[in-house]
Amino acid sequence: MKAIIATTIFGVIMMFAGLMVSNKKSIVAIATMLFAALLGVNIWDLTATSADAANNLYFNNMLRIEHYSMWFNTLMTGCTLLYALLMGKEIIKVGMHVAEYFALIFFILCGLYLLSTYNNMLMMFIGIEILSIPQYILAGSDKRNLKSSEASLKYFLMGSFTTGILLMGITLLYGASRSFNIMEIASMLNSDALNPLALAGILFIMIAFAFKVSAAPMHMWTPDVYDGSPTPFTAYMSTVLKAAAFFAFLRLFQVSFNTLSAHWTLILAIITAATLLVGNVTAVFQQSVKRMLAYSSIAQAGFMLFAVLAVNKFAWQGIIIYAAAYSVATIGLFSVLVKLKDFTYDGFNGLAKKEPFLAFTASIFLFSLAGIPLTGGFMAKYYVLLAVVQQGQLMWLVIFALLMAAISVFYYFRVIIAMYFKPGNPEMSSTLTTGDKLMLGITCALVILIGVAPQLFLNGI
Amino acid sequence: MNLYDTLFWFLSAVSVGCALGVILSRNPVNSVLFLVLTFVSISGHYILMNAQFLFIVNLIVYTGAIMVLFLFVIMLMNLNADVEPQKGQLVQLAGVVSGGVLFLVLLAAVKTASPVPIDKASIDIGLITNLGKVLFKDFVLPFEISSVLFLSAMIGAVVIGKKEESTPLPSGE
Repeated sequence: MKAIIATTIFGVIMMFAGLMVSNKKSIVAIATMLFAALLGVNIWDLTATSADAANNLYFNNMLRIEHYSMWFNTLMTGCTLLYALLMGKEIIKVGMHVAEYFALIFFILCGLYLLSTYNNMLMMFIGIEILSIPQYILAGSDKRNLKSSEASLKYFLMGSFTTGILLMGITLLYGASRSFNIMEIASMLNSDALNPLALAGILFIMIAFAFKVSAAPMHMWTPDVYDGSPTPFTAYMSTVLKAAAFFAFLRLFQVSFNTLSAHWTLILAIITAATLLVGNVTAVFQQSVKRMLAYSSIAQAGFMLFAVLAVNKFAWQGIIIYAAAYSVATIGLFSVLVKLKDFTYDGFNGLAKKEPFLAFTASIFLFSLAGIPLTGGFMAKYYVLLAVVQQGQLMWLVIFALLMAAISVFYYFRVIIAMYFKPGNPEMSSTLTTGDKLMLGITCALVILIGVAPQLFLNGI
Repeated sequence: MNLYDTLFWFLSAVSVGCALGVILSRNPVNSVLFLVLTFVSISGHYILMNAQFLFIVNLIVYTGAIMVLFLFVIMLMNLNADVEPQKGQLVQLAGVVSGGVLFLVLLAAVKTASPVPIDKASIDIGLITNLGKVLFKDFVLPFEISSVLFLSAMIGAVVIGKKEESTPLPSGE
């Protein structure tokens, strides 16, 4: 609650900072301090959340605060702070509106907080829009690059179209249940005598969310947008923002459509299988590491969809640990990527000889994304698959996912092979300072910490 | 058939007919004009449902402002039927099939839905007084928080629209 107000104020402060402060490095420093303050506000919120459910409704049932929502907010704000510390120097290089970029990131966090606590369809819609519109802008922020403009326009057009589909779904659902309140919708819809309007509405909403999280038949925009956007912003879009969309997806389907799961599980299971297949198989054929990461983010979305499929309380653990592990590792890997000039696999050749520490940290992040034990990625995959196994059905999908995880090892390890076993002299775009090394080390430690002690990141959920 | 029903069927026929006109006419300017008519007839439906404020807002904002903007854009870009891109046969077929399936789903949903008759007695439900009360009591949070959305859109307009420094950064930076 306090965090929503704080992040909006911080966004406005950043806008004024752009006016008053001319030194871009100071702007980054101010933004980083504000992110740290925001993390503090989130922790304050977390400790103030009462266990009594009746006290947790705010603004005429618009928001409902739960322990796991606040914990998700805290973790994602932490990831944003990590992102600012790792990528701050790179954001300066994107364009001249550095303060505005940070203001937009603060507003994105406002949307994230709404999406993790909404109790009303209207709040969900506004949250998704607050999350999306700054993304369109950040994607097109590198105006000297034609690909960046293309990414922005493509994302904007497709995103607006999907917003229409989402609104149509909400309308149909309102027609069937006569309520925007997600708790009331749950009590109004009866699984045995389900109004076909509601069913059509659920389908529309599912398609719209599948687009936002880049699930398979709606994934076409992802490679172009992630590849074309400036790399620092791709890192943010493919991690924290995707996690927020997933959390909203899970929240709606868990709270409102839990009892109706017989009607939509099969469709979502097919979407999940298609996402895993398309993401992993296409990633194998990519020549650019940045584009490979775009496809890998589709593949990882397939795993996160498992949390939505499992309509039980383990799903919350799964999505939170997956969001944290995936975000930390991907942000880390992107911060290695921006240090290099050439984003193809060949550009990584011989990195281990030139920058052993950089190559080592990149390997840890890749291990985590591939899901090797002792890293965060392994525990994340374990928890989401556990949630589906607990649910009992869909064992075929779990086995299929394990097979796909094995394929993913191939393309992640190609980068490691290029770094350690191929000769070459990679060109760096900037020198590695001690501060960079320290931050990369901390990120590595976090990845391993999630893998060794995941309970720390679940915080009693 | 009383006056209400007559008006309803008339407006419905105009809406559907004009909506078909939007997608069937080859000339984009005609499409936009049909869209204007569609919006006007939908505004008429709002009147029938006692939503007077919604009627006037829809008329001013959509028909008056947005559609005129559309028209200007089409005229400025000089679009006409000749420059319309031709789609391949397969794409057309895929479009027809998926559109038809969607139509079928919606038709089935609407057919079995039980309609709720609107309360014709509450004539002041759509007045701005009631709307304001609802907006500032029940829906105050979405109303206020949408300002964040508009603020980020405004920042976007500035970031995208402002001219970048003409001196390009030295390569490698």
